[in-house]
Amino acid sequence: MSDHSVLTTLKILIIGESGVGKSSLLLRFTDDTFDPEQTATIGVDFKVKTLTVDGNGAKLAIWDTAGQERFRTLTPSYYRGAQGVILVYDVTSRQSFNKLDAWLNELETFSTKHDVVKMLVGNKIDMDKREVSKEDGLKFARKHQMLFIESSAKTKEGVQCAFEELVEKVIQTPGLWETDKQGGMTLIGSRGSSQGYCGGYCVI
Amino acid sequence: MAADDDGDVFEITDFTTASEWERFIARVEEILHEWKLVNCEPKPPAKKGDYANGVWKEKSEELSFADFKFCMTHIWLKQPQEDDRKTSVERETAENETEEEEQADKTATVFLDLQSMNNDFPSRAHCICRWFGLQEFVTLMPVVNEETIDTESRIKLLMSSVSIALSNAGCSVPVFAQIQQRWQKLYIGTCIMPGATVEFKMVSLKKIPYQYNHLTGLLDAFKSKLGYAVERRPPVFVTVRFMYVLQDWINSPWTQSLPDLSSSFDEEVGCSSFEQLPFGACDDPVTQLHLSCTWPCLSEEIIVESQFYTDLNPLQAPHWSVRVQMADDPQCLLGEYLEAFLQLCKRKESWDQVIGNLQVEEETEKTSDISQALQKLTEPSVPYNLPAFGSYMTQAAARHDITPKHLPLSQDVLNQIIFFLFPDASKAAKVAKERDEEETKSGKEEQEITTAPHGNVKELPKQLKSAPFGSLLHRLSVCLCVINENYSGLHAVGQVWQEFLLELRYRWDYSYIIYEIERGPPNLGTCLLYQKLQMLNCCIERKIKREQLHKGYTGEPDSPLSSLRDKITGSTAAHNSSISQLGDKGEVKTVDSSGPKTNPKKAQSFDSSSEDEFFECEEENDTVKEKDSQSEIEKESLEQSETEMEAVDESAIENETADQSVDSEKEEKVKGSSAINSKTEDDAVSLTSESSFKDSLTHNPEGRLAPHGELKLLYTGEQMYIPVTQEPAPMTEDMLDEHAEVLAKLGTSTEGAQLRARMQSACLLSDMESFKAANPGCALEDFVRWYSPRDWIEDEVEGEDVQTVIKGHLSQRMEIPGNMWVEVWQTARPVPARRQKRLFDDTKEAEKVLHFLSSLQPADVVLHLLPVLIHAAILKVMENEDQELPVLQQLLDKLCSKASTVTRSPAQDVRSYDELIRMISHAEIVIARNQSLRSKFTASLLDRTDAESELRHFVNSILKNSEVPVRGGPQGPAGSIIHKLFSAAQKASNMALDEDSAQEKEKDREFQKYEQTFPDFPRPSAREYILRTVIPRPAPYSKPLPQRMHCVLCDNDFRLAGAFSSDSVFQ
Repeated sequence: MSDHSVLTTLKILIIGESGVGKSSLLLRFTDDTFDPEQTATIGVDFKVKTLTVDGNGAKLAIWDTAGQERFRTLTPSYYRGAQGVILVYDVTSRQSFNKLDAWLNELETFSTKHDVVKMLVGNKIDMDKREVSKEDGLKFARKHQMLFIESSAKTKEGVQCAFEELVEKVIQTPGLWETDKQGGMTLIGSRGSSQGYCGGYCVI
Repeated sequence: MAADDDGDVFEITDFTTASEWERFIARVEEILHEWKLVNCEPKPPAKKGDYANGVWKEKSEELSFADFKFCMTHIWLKQPQEDDRKTSVERETAENETEEEEQADKTATVFLDLQSMNNDFPSRAHCICRWFGLQEFVTLMPVVNEETIDTESRIKLLMSSVSIALSNAGCSVPVFAQIQQRWQKLYIGTCIMPGATVEFKMVSLKKIPYQYNHLTGLLDAFKSKLGYAVERRPPVFVTVRFMYVLQDWINSPWTQSLPDLSSSFDEEVGCSSFEQLPFGACDDPVTQLHLSCTWPCLSEEIIVESQFYTDLNPLQAPHWSVRVQMADDPQCLLGEYLEAFLQLCKRKESWDQVIGNLQVEEETEKTSDISQALQKLTEPSVPYNLPAFGSYMTQAAARHDITPKHLPLSQDVLNQIIFFLFPDASKAAKVAKERDEEETKSGKEEQEITTAPHGNVKELPKQLKSAPFGSLLHRLSVCLCVINENYSGLHAVGQVWQEFLLELRYRWDYSYIIYEIERGPPNLGTCLLYQKLQMLNCCIERKIKREQLHKGYTGEPDSPLSSLRDKITGSTAAHNSSISQLGDKGEVKTVDSSGPKTNPKKAQSFDSSSEDEFFECEEENDTVKEKDSQSEIEKESLEQSETEMEAVDESAIENETADQSVDSEKEEKVKGSSAINSKTEDDAVSLTSESSFKDSLTHNPEGRLAPHGELKLLYTGEQMYIPVTQEPAPMTEDMLDEHAEVLAKLGTSTEGAQLRARMQSACLLSDMESFKAANPGCALEDFVRWYSPRDWIEDEVEGEDVQTVIKGHLSQRMEIPGNMWVEVWQTARPVPARRQKRLFDDTKEAEKVLHFLSSLQPADVVLHLLPVLIHAAILKVMENEDQELPVLQQLLDKLCSKASTVTRSPAQDVRSYDELIRMISHAEIVIARNQSLRSKFTASLLDRTDAESELRHFVNSILKNSEVPVRGGPQGPAGSIIHKLFSAAQKASNMALDEDSAQEKEKDREFQKYEQTFPDFPRPSAREYILRTVIPRPAPYSKPLPQRMHCVLCDNDFRLAGAFSSDSVFQ
């Protein structure tokens, strides 16, 4: 695999309660900026970034979704075909953490690839009033077989790392991103067709 | 004894004068060196069964002797530890070990092989390996087929050249040259070791010479070849194998129920002919049983087999093994049907080309009656409104006249197919419903049954991207596949497909839900075609809802509204109808002023034309600035009985919602209070623009779904209501992709993001408008508290006396001036959902679906149906599977995972489906073989009942391996069954079997009676003898070396293959 060219395009999805900082995370990752005046996302938003992980270039098409309950009837349609999902909660909001189960449920229901890589991100660790401890986050992630990291879109902490880790994991998961390259068929064909070999008594 | 050191010198000096054969020798040597076959360590003899089961390797190189091209091939059995050790060890030996003595101490590979009895009759091996028992050898074959080495002198020249090369190189691997015609498989070979040579010779005759037709004669030949007689000659050891062929399976004739192929138009066609995929092999996939009886390593003195007497009774053979000859390509129905269907993918014609001819013929026959032709286009095959079946029949008959005889499917068959696909169509609605229920029930049962055998069945629908079992699409795919095979191929498929499309069109036009399609928005886990049908159903459902709404206003006398309506005076009665039409989404402009009853179909046809307009005609308030004619009329008549009107409107619309009664009660109160409050609170609103606020302030609440828990409006203090909102538009995956692509194309710039948000704000706008309509006097803050609670930040809650005053503010992001939320809020007007622009235009979407379907070409249709068909086929396989068959289990697991990836792959590829189908037919063959073998080796043939598991094991191993030892030999359970099978066949061939006395007991008695007369086993169809001895050759004082001769005697081949070693030192 060449180091320069883009190996594959990956679809990454960001979900979570409204106002936990999904769009800010994305903005930090793609543009390395932080906008305190980030408006609330309507429907879905979309950004692209190319990332190199382990010498493999991967083009990321990242879909940022609105967290509002009402939009949820609409956004799951964008879950389709996602290889990686970032589930964000706000460490200063217990409620946003408690809703994670519901989000995972939705993900189960709507994602089309069953081995999609999931990552849990506890955002806003720069803020003082923490309501969700790191242990809680870790426990949840372990229980649901997710990657886990805490981050702050404001201070940059953990953001780049989160995306890189996720992409690496996706690339390492066989069958998740290479669409139809492996042929892998060994079964067909009757036994013993190799020339010059004969079976039993077919002496001639 | 050529010294290896001289090799270099020899080559250099002779280079210039080299003749053809010297160059050949040099080339052979070179290759031998290249392959590192020089001075090799002797290998240990192969372990038991290794020849058949081990890995054989091959390496080839071309070379030529003058202009005669040879292919030199090294064939060897891979040693278990070969990979890690050989290379290093070999290199060392090649460099250091030049002393012959050291090598001479060890017995050469060839001698060990000749003596080893571990692999006497390998079930599968190269013929040289079979005849000479070698694990490593080199062959020299003429490359061009026509060229042969057929004269004695050429053979001699070739062999002596090879000998020279071998001794020059010091290679002790035997080399064989193929002589005479290729098909004769005649080889002659030589092997040169330090101090000894082995000659490999072969004789092959078409007929067995009389004197060599038994062991005694062969022993004579062997001894005479060895060519000397001493007094104390060591005995020759003999290994014998006889093979018996069983062809007639008397006890278990193959029974495969053929599918009902009665396709005749006149006869009644059973529905079963296109309801189910066929399964199984047409012919017995098991053709022959070869029983091999082996007597290993007997001394020549122990057994006698001569012309007159034999000791070799198969029932006394210590070792039995069985090989089953399977039909190479048994005709397997499922595989065949699938394959044929897949082939349609490669057709390039369009439907027009396929069935166009038919239609032309049709028209020329009945050109005069254009109306009928038109009727044919619009009319469905099955009329729904007809309550009785009888009246349908007459119509079918009428249509039958039109149908030309050239159509591949007669109208009767076609009707049956349509009824099969749309079971609800066959009877009146009520019956249909019942039947539908029944069918879902039976479908469920069926599913449960199929679930039982294999754990995968449950997961299968999830793994595969297809359609649910028993769904319309599932039936359609099965039906088309069967019809393709049983009727006239693509023509018939096209006819059914067209009929299917007509039916769908009819169902849309006349608002009949398509049955056996899961309700709700398209399930993205299913195949595209299924999603499209779901989409169509969504459209039909919405359409029905609309129409019901409409009917509720215009027609029904029993409507609960009638009492209310009676209150309204005569002058408003006419107006009432106009209002009601206004209530109907999107149809307002087309109000038919002529009468109160409008044709629902007419209104519906206007639908699509008016889709892009907003209607806010019910803004009866004085503050409304724009007044179209519609609202003018409205206003006049509304003056008197405004409140009643509202009540009518309200309750009618909200028929569906559960809280209706509660709602309307509360409404009255709200209305009163809002009127008072509205003006006092006017100034408090800051964020909303004045005009829009005024709108929301003064209008009456509409489109309420339910009160929202504890929340009160911030500025009016009223109960907050959750509005009735529009459901988001359902989308199929291709629409989604398209949509996502459009969104993605906007790029990642801020402008792009803005535009994207704007594109998606329709839903937000709709919700805001509904909210405003339901909550007069509301503000953005209220909306946010309902819609996005986390954007409402509550400040300190101050408890003041009785009331708690909630103070809070919008989150920072909502307060950004000019952000999308504020902007949309400002443009939103209070319009209840039912009067908003439809977010989902069912008419347009339905047409799109129908267009999509009708624009599919034959190949597309087939490709789209394949996932569903594969699903059905896999279920069919699982239905027939045998759980105790590990081979099959593996096969099915592979099949399922492969099918999962193929059906999910974004680019549907015919080739991968081809592979899948091959896997399916492979599984089918395995199942057929298993069934066949099981029926042949049934425990009922056995006296002992405990042997069933042993028989199972036996059958399983036959399916897995080519040759299977019979455990317990002739006395074992399998052995005794085989014995019975043979004797039954013998008896049958020796006498005319009385068919009537088929009963087991009878047979047994007869069998007893004739036992003496006929032998239980037929004449062996092949006999093999391996003769071995160790004697000194060529002189009595030579070293004793192993000698071996393999004799094959069968009907048209008599072959002696001998390996004769001789001492090259003490001659």
